[in-house]
Amino acid sequence: MFIRQTRALICLLLLLSTACGGGADPEGTVYRHAIDGVPGSLDPAHAADVYASTLVVNIFDTLYRYRYLARPYELAPNLAEDFPEVSEDGRVFTIRLRAARFADDPAFADGRGRPVTAADVVFSLRRHFDPATRSQGAWLWRDRIVGLDAWGRDGADPQAEVAGLQALDDRTVRIELTRPYPQLVNTLAMALSAIVPPEAVAHYGREFSVRPVGSGPFQLLSLDETRAVLKPNAHFDREPLDLTAEGFDPDRHGHYGLEALDGRRYPFLDRLEVHFIAEPATRWNSFFSGRDVDNVMLPPEQAVRVLESTHPLVFRPQIERDFQTHVGRETGLVLYGFNMANPEIGYHADPERDRANHALRCAIRDAFDWAARNRVFYQGLGEVFPGVIPPFLDEYEPDLPTESIDHDPALARQRLADHGWTAEQLPVLVYGLESSVERRQMFEQFRAQLAAIGYPPEKIRRAAFGSFGEYHRAIINGQVDLFLLGWTLAYPDAQYSLQLFFGPNAAPGANLFNYANPEFDEAFRRAEPLPQGPERSALYRDLNRLVLDDCAMIGSLTRTRVHLWHPRVRMLPDREVLGGYFLRFVDVQEPPA
Amino acid sequence: MSSLVVQSGRRLRGRLAGEPVGFLALIVVGAYALVACGVWLGWWGSEWSALAGPGWAAPSAEHWLGTNRLGQDILARALAATATAFEIGVLVAVVTTAIGGLAGGLSGYFSDGWPDEVLLWLMGTLDAIPFYLLVAALAFALHGHPWAMHLAMIATFWTTTARLVRAETQRIRRLPFIEAARVAGLLPRSIIVRHILPNTAHILLVQATLVFIAAIKVEVVLSFLGIGTQDSISWGVMIAEGAQDILAGQYGNFVVASLFLFGLVMAFSLFADQLQDSLDPRTQDSRWQPHG
Amino acid sequence: MNKRSALLAFGLRKLAGAVPLILGVTLVSFVLTVHFGPDQTYALLGKNPTAAEIEQVRAQLGYDQPFVLRYADYLKRLATLDLGHAQATGEPVRSMLARTIPVSLLLLAPGFVLGTLLALILAALAAWYRGSLLDRVISGASVVGMSLSFVVILVGLQAVFGVWLGWFPVRGWSVAGVADYLHHVAVPTLAFIVATLGYNTRFFRAVLAAEMTSEQVRSARAFGIGPLRIMTVHVIGNSLLPIVTRILFSLPLLVISGSLLIESHFGIPGVGRITYAAVMSGDQPVLMAVVGLSAVLFVIAVTVADLLCRLIDPRLAST
Repeated sequence: MFIRQTRALICLLLLLSTACGGGADPEGTVYRHAIDGVPGSLDPAHAADVYASTLVVNIFDTLYRYRYLARPYELAPNLAEDFPEVSEDGRVFTIRLRAARFADDPAFADGRGRPVTAADVVFSLRRHFDPATRSQGAWLWRDRIVGLDAWGRDGADPQAEVAGLQALDDRTVRIELTRPYPQLVNTLAMALSAIVPPEAVAHYGREFSVRPVGSGPFQLLSLDETRAVLKPNAHFDREPLDLTAEGFDPDRHGHYGLEALDGRRYPFLDRLEVHFIAEPATRWNSFFSGRDVDNVMLPPEQAVRVLESTHPLVFRPQIERDFQTHVGRETGLVLYGFNMANPEIGYHADPERDRANHALRCAIRDAFDWAARNRVFYQGLGEVFPGVIPPFLDEYEPDLPTESIDHDPALARQRLADHGWTAEQLPVLVYGLESSVERRQMFEQFRAQLAAIGYPPEKIRRAAFGSFGEYHRAIINGQVDLFLLGWTLAYPDAQYSLQLFFGPNAAPGANLFNYANPEFDEAFRRAEPLPQGPERSALYRDLNRLVLDDCAMIGSLTRTRVHLWHPRVRMLPDREVLGGYFLRFVDVQEPPA
Repeated sequence: MSSLVVQSGRRLRGRLAGEPVGFLALIVVGAYALVACGVWLGWWGSEWSALAGPGWAAPSAEHWLGTNRLGQDILARALAATATAFEIGVLVAVVTTAIGGLAGGLSGYFSDGWPDEVLLWLMGTLDAIPFYLLVAALAFALHGHPWAMHLAMIATFWTTTARLVRAETQRIRRLPFIEAARVAGLLPRSIIVRHILPNTAHILLVQATLVFIAAIKVEVVLSFLGIGTQDSISWGVMIAEGAQDILAGQYGNFVVASLFLFGLVMAFSLFADQLQDSLDPRTQDSRWQPHG
Repeated sequence: MNKRSALLAFGLRKLAGAVPLILGVTLVSFVLTVHFGPDQTYALLGKNPTAAEIEQVRAQLGYDQPFVLRYADYLKRLATLDLGHAQATGEPVRSMLARTIPVSLLLLAPGFVLGTLLALILAALAAWYRGSLLDRVISGASVVGMSLSFVVILVGLQAVFGVWLGWFPVRGWSVAGVADYLHHVAVPTLAFIVATLGYNTRFFRAVLAAEMTSEQVRSARAFGIGPLRIMTVHVIGNSLLPIVTRILFSLPLLVISGSLLIESHFGIPGVGRITYAAVMSGDQPVLMAVVGLSAVLFVIAVTVADLLCRLIDPRLAST
């Protein structure tokens, strides 16, 4: 009797399970986008990572954005009407806003979104300097806008005026800089600079980070640890999509079906779901089963299943047949850093020991095998390049000598021998890592490679940290000698990665290496006010070489992003430069049979 | 007194000989222990972290069970992990039993006195914190400490042993020979250590085996969550690696580690059953929550 | 004093006695999270923080306050049910719990109910046919079940049902309709049953087998009463106390510990997942709310179990 009941129950379960697979979506066009991490806070002032940015740039408006398809990346006006008017000396920027409205929300007096004004822009940038905001973006404008730092220090009085940040009228913002800052417009395309309505910030208080209200193309419906659901913002009104202006190239983009979207008003979706799936296996399964999400950024482990070959990169025929594909490089890099402030391996007062330490760092660099790292962890899809100017930038130097990234254990042994390093004398190295399977395996690989040049494995100590915050703290406090660092460029300018070595940025700043080279600092300062051009590129390249010569880092590798999506989705996904702007241009259409 | 221990030992031998399952289980556990000894003596498994070959190699004469992603020998890792399992299991079991026994003895001997109150409060407190929350928080709190995970497990496991010993002590306390010892002027400390605890040996022994099993299983979960063993290899680490390998269609690491784990836990469980049947048939099984 | 008011007094006394327990639980957890837990400061800072900014964040997190003050403040808030905001997201902890606890309950309820029933049935069969082949098979299978690691079960089931057979979603949560719910809950339920069935069956079998030898059951059999009736009325009926106690005690732990692994592996937004994330990131308000809540649940479970004992077995009332 019992068995019969169970059988009936199983049948019922099976029936139900087959009944709900597939079928038309009742809510209109829905796109389910998968990203590989969970955003912390949706308050633009905290949106420093790609996960938060993906949502923030779609819920809020930024003054500028990047063109959808143009590569190299090109800025385009977004909430701003046009590019700013810049004074002769490069210090005063005048920006006109276009007409826009915040989405409807109970935070507004009558529940109806009001027009966005220049005062909102002033408020949104200014609040980064109010300590209560706990901003993660203030550093972008620190010491750069006249009176802004002082305003924050003096109690962030909402009534007080900031000389360098003013609303001239409802639609005009004036920014006065302390010194020329050519990257200012880039920072105004970052999610951190997005425009928030003061009413909502006041109304929701701390909850603003989960109840975001903005003037972007979408509006948040719900949010939990696994997904965010968005609907179009009814007030969002921009001129129709102009594919040509966005950089459409029939040769590169012709097969994505984007032409059908040209001239239409965006956003196109009735519902946008962003799923947060950190585990590579589940992300892939959710996509490949065709049931849960519509896209996937390929976990490298998956490469064997979808790729016929990695060099050149060829997909399997079945993948080409079933899915749309896009291959691009990340706008970031992965590198190892030394803590130069530790006299055991970094700078040393004694010139001879200083030279020996330099040789030691270079030996460790030679011992490290980037090709093996690339093969094992990135399926050979990454690109290894010398220094910190990644290939997607104009300043990249393709013919830079590669000895800094070549695996050369013999040379490493030679260097150690030349400077009298013996197994007994070699210092204990603390290798910091975040607790995860992959990071642990990377450590074991590194240690084995160092063992091959005679570095005793017991002298490579592992210090594991449970969270990125803990790991970051340990690096800042100089508790680790060797650390792996991922650095994503928030704007396409080598200055963003070179700042990692700028002396005044030393820990707790971004210069986690505690690199201190007066020659570098001087050249970095000279490059700062320069606009993009040959003079600046030459300086950037000099800076890159300085870092390489000092063996302060081991690197770098830039990862290849392989995107797959279902052909009914018309888009070109690109989350690089901390973005997510493409989501407004996504449409879902069944392809013609 | 000690005659009880001898008696139960004899009973155990008799029972085990008559029970093929228990006997077989003991042999399997012995085989695992041999493997672990071999690792400690450096006979095998010492090269578990060496990059010995190409990544994800199929089983071959050189690598009997193939290699993992990095090209490390899976067999060497599984063998080395056996030693780790014993280290964790034995250490946690011994310390847990010692603490649990002493606390239980104290608490039971002084029941209705303040030591009992305090200990009961402490046990209640530890039991009321969700298991994984406490273990994870402790493991995190002591992060970087090589014994972090062990301490976390001991801190949470000892209460069960203590409760069982406490109940037994309360019973023994009323027996005439304890009464006699007290009249003879023995201090409570020596009464507990010399007279009461030896008579709870059956409980302690069974509890120790159960803690051994629980420790090994919990290690797997903690390592899977990323807060497990520090700089050594364990089945939990292998399973966590293996779960990622599955993505690339590589099952070796996962299957080997799972089977090694299953074999030891299964054999030890059957052995523990026999032990319990023969030594302590009255006490209810304390294994009532799946911890791992 | 009549029986009912005696019971009520007993219950109240029990609850009052729970105050030190709750204090203990919160104190231990607070010490762990404050003194040893992860420091959230650096997760909340920008790319280029200044020393002043670090100090500001620390002050806002309350890290600059002395321990006693922080603990007292926490107790005050707990007493007034003011659970504060999550540090990382700013979401009120109360709304996080309101959002996640129902998910965890829905997620685990089917597995818990089915698993318990299935275990009772298997245990009843084993106990009835004690010593038979069936008993040996069921008992053997229980040991096998107990020997399987939860992690192995999760990874294995997901690979088989989600990927290889492709019958069920491998991740996520949706309760848009009954079908949708069953669809998402199927594999986690199976995993939960596989993980607990061995333990449950074994426990129930021991309890039922002991009861089978009782005078009452033997005379019922002698009177020729049907096996189903003997089993349900006499055997299970008389063993209700340990069975109910076990179920009661697993409930508070179930809500948090039980769902932690399942939720993090299947990407389900339940309370186990937020708790684990809070442990790892050091989000103290979330953590302390969960600990406080589960301690209260634990106390309630203990008290109810004690009350039930007295109701079912009046002999205990004298002790």
